Amino acid sequence: MTDVQVPEADHELPLLPGEVKPHPSPFAYVIIAVILCVITALEVALSYTDLADGVMIALLLTMAAIKFFLVASWFMHLRTDAPVFRRFFILGIVAAIILFSIAMSTLHIFSP
Amino acid sequence: MEQVAIASGHEDHGTVTGVANTKLAMWMFLASDCLFFGAFISAYLLYHGRAGQAGPKPKDVYSIPFTSVTSFILLMSSLTMVLALAAIQRGDYRRLRVWLMATALFGATFIAGQIYEFTEFYRHGLSLSTNLFGSTFFVLTGLHGMHVTAGIIWLLTMWGMAMQGRLTTADSERIEVAGLYWHFVDVVWIVIFTVVYLVPK
Repeated sequence: MTDVQVPEADHELPLLPGEVKPHPSPFAYVIIAVILCVITALEVALSYTDLADGVMIALLLTMAAIKFFLVASWFMHLRTDAPVFRRFFILGIVAAIILFSIAMSTLHIFSP
Repeated sequence: MEQVAIASGHEDHGTVTGVANTKLAMWMFLASDCLFFGAFISAYLLYHGRAGQAGPKPKDVYSIPFTSVTSFILLMSSLTMVLALAAIQRGDYRRLRVWLMATALFGATFIAGQIYEFTEFYRHGLSLSTNLFGSTFFVLTGLHGMHVTAGIIWLLTMWGMAMQGRLTTADSERIEVAGLYWHFVDVVWIVIFTVVYLVPK
């Protein structure tokens, strides 16, 4: 998962069953939310530029992936909870990507 | 460890996996929902730009500034949701009620924005049956909106229970599971916002 250097765990709370590390502090959550807002603003600004389509798509998808992993790892606690949750979620994402990439390839969406 | 766990609201679950079954079940549901939304996102990508379609095209109807604001609101609802979880874990029930209601209100604002957007599109001549773009767009974003609406109902139920004093630190896992669902609709929107609205057509 994406690792961002922000103030770490909420040490006032004990380590709970099923957690590898304590949940982040409320301050850490706010920092992550600010980062998400900044990335969203950059995405919107980028969509108004005249970059080549290929470059723009690559940049937009990269920023969306960063936002996705920030929410999943910090807000959904995948970085601090038991690995079994992460494995289930990654399985779903990977299965969806593989399945629908094959489906779209079959229907020639990637052909020029 | 047992005393600490019970005091913080998380008893030893005594399951084969060592984690709560409800939380594991929610993660399994979310994994399956990835495939559900993957199908509709793929359908949109396949059909929205098909040549020879009558009626409005994406660039004719999209309002990026408006959708950016609603996306920002949904992102902020994820922050208030996770603050509600932190509040119940600390036994701060006043903040729990505030953050739960804030999350539900942010979600309701997002849905109001979506209804406004759908109405505007309809005025521009785009409906579910106008063309393939309309069909795939309304089905994808409408199903996401239904997920958000279900989440709002869930949050308001939790808020009502918190108002009656029926949610304590011992119930923090219930808030966490509701939060997982809520954050999932947020990450799905992150993908939809980029792929449907921002990627050049």
